[in-house]
Amino acid sequence: MAEAEERYRYPWLHRWLSRWTTLTDIERSLIDDPESGLKAWARTTAGVVAMLLALQIVTGILLGFYYVPSTESAHTTVAYVEKVVPTGAWLRSLHHYGSQWLTLALVLHLAQMFWRASYRRRPVGWIGSVLLLLLVLAEGATGYSLPWDARAFFGTRVTEGIAGGLPLVGSWSRRWLLGGMEITPITLARFFALHTLVLPALIFMVTALRLFVFRERGLVSEAEERQLERWMHQQIARNAVVAGLVFIALSLYAARYYAPLGPAADTAAPGYLPRPGAQFLWLFQMLKYLPGRAASIVAVALPALIITGLAMLPFLNPPPLRRVMAHPRRNMGVVLFVLGFTLVTGMTIMAYVKDATDPLTRAQLSRQEAEEAAFRAAPFVPLRSRTSESVIDEETDGEETTESNNTATASPSPGASPPPEASVSPKPSTQVSATRPPAAYITHCSGCHGTRGQGASIYPRLIGVSSKPRRTVEDLINMMNDPASYGLDPLMPSFATKLSESEKREIAEWTAALKKRR
Amino acid sequence: MPDSDSGKSSRREESSPDRGRRDFLLLIPLGIFAGVAATIATAAFRYLRPTLSSPSSQPKWSNVSPVSELKGEKPIMRSIVAEHQAGWASTMEEHFVYVLPNQNNKVLSSVCPHEGCNVAWRDDVNEFFCPCHDSYFAADGSRINGPSRRGLDPLPTREKDGVLQVQYQTFVNNTEERIARG
Repeated sequence: MAEAEERYRYPWLHRWLSRWTTLTDIERSLIDDPESGLKAWARTTAGVVAMLLALQIVTGILLGFYYVPSTESAHTTVAYVEKVVPTGAWLRSLHHYGSQWLTLALVLHLAQMFWRASYRRRPVGWIGSVLLLLLVLAEGATGYSLPWDARAFFGTRVTEGIAGGLPLVGSWSRRWLLGGMEITPITLARFFALHTLVLPALIFMVTALRLFVFRERGLVSEAEERQLERWMHQQIARNAVVAGLVFIALSLYAARYYAPLGPAADTAAPGYLPRPGAQFLWLFQMLKYLPGRAASIVAVALPALIITGLAMLPFLNPPPLRRVMAHPRRNMGVVLFVLGFTLVTGMTIMAYVKDATDPLTRAQLSRQEAEEAAFRAAPFVPLRSRTSESVIDEETDGEETTESNNTATASPSPGASPPPEASVSPKPSTQVSATRPPAAYITHCSGCHGTRGQGASIYPRLIGVSSKPRRTVEDLINMMNDPASYGLDPLMPSFATKLSESEKREIAEWTAALKKRR
Repeated sequence: MPDSDSGKSSRREESSPDRGRRDFLLLIPLGIFAGVAATIATAAFRYLRPTLSSPSSQPKWSNVSPVSELKGEKPIMRSIVAEHQAGWASTMEEHFVYVLPNQNNKVLSSVCPHEGCNVAWRDDVNEFFCPCHDSYFAADGSRINGPSRRGLDPLPTREKDGVLQVQYQTFVNNTEERIARG
């Protein structure tokens, strides 16, 4: 043991790590085949994937500090990150383009594993990478909807259309994805939950299973693995170098190019041409060649087929590339891989070529680019809203017309429902100001609940309080005596000794008589 | 690094340790990781650092009341609507203020400087009083007794076209000194 430990600069560190962590174990398990040269450098796709994945998590968390997933706020908060928050535009750009680079890195990672035939030795590592690709694509699709600009809205439309075109479960999956029949605030909340909770949890699970649960031996024996630490350290250094270079490239790219953000979804002009993220361009392009219903089926079936085919590859057990020529009938997996790769690459290139050459498309796309540039150059406009109903009451004296003027200044919310009481009593009923509040109310209560019981900021309005179940005069008196038992402490103090019994009753009766207007 | 050194040939070299080289090998990933982490951490620090004032911190004036209505010896309670801009949202909020007509229309915030409840005027003792923790303030807003550590907070005012206007602001609670927020 002492002889072995001499190889380490810090033997105590190594001893501690192997005694208390699984790190040295994991490190060894990743050796597979101690290759050198081009193959060793090709394997650095693993480091690039790890770096980009970590970057997505960090930038995603940072975006979460400002983003609000509601149809009223989503676009404004993203614009705030882009225009106001220092480094916000860069971090969002890292997140946006990082997801596309991560998809590419995963494809290259799979290609590299295929080339080295590592999928045959280590099927779990291979399937884990395929699942990671699937999850990263799903992250891309759901994340696209979150900024809630025109691009996001139409992206959601297309996703929904594809889900709806599924055979048998089409309408069911559309409803579940949207949370209804239309794109509503519920849809945005669902996409947000999928993007930030469900899919990251699955990504963590796949990664954890790959690293901590499954152990796959490569070409070397366990005894040999112990001797290969030097090689492993070199390989880690190679991974770090390549991942570092990719990080620098992505950083510069993100500093140069903004992540796209157009005006809010509801201001999109007719004729808007939505374009998906780079990782979905191939699918987008293919939908052009397929008619209606077939398109929806193919759009789901083809990626599913590709992903399943990839995942099944270790079990199809195709021979290595050099033997494929000799056995043309046994190369199912190879054919799938090559076909899929060619299709995806070809379609992506065609999508770019088509957009660049077709004059009508070109014109519309450059119009949209100009629109986005103008929106970016415009100063940030904050979301305007009124926090308390009492403000409206105070100013308008319950006039229906002025009321609608006031709500119009707030940003429009497509899913907001009218207040429930509006349908019950459409006519203005009792005049609140008809009865003057008791003097004790003015002294002890109006400071928080307003001179007419209208409430203020965090202090609730008292108007209409008696319409709640069990809110009798006696109950209101109890509430004044012991607010804590109603969950009102510490904001509402007890008035048990501050008010006389007759004062309490007077206040409670006046409060109970307060009716809602409208 | 030369590739001939890596791979299978390295197995034979294990018995002759080359510590300088090994340290260097360890330093590469550590250095790169530190570089990436530092870049992101710097950006994250600037990104998350709270802003002290809103980007367009133009003082906003809210109407209190026509000056002609402000008469008498007693403080007059008025509600005002003030615009608050913070982050991406701009909200209209209602606040209460007391106008003191006999003190050149001085305006006091109704927020108790102790823990932020709203104070009420008591006609019977001619004092402001906070119903939450029983702080008492004189008719000019100065502290009399109770847990509050300072008197009621005065607000900047001006008169425009015969209307008294106030620049609403809030102050850090439970301090002796008056520290404006925002």
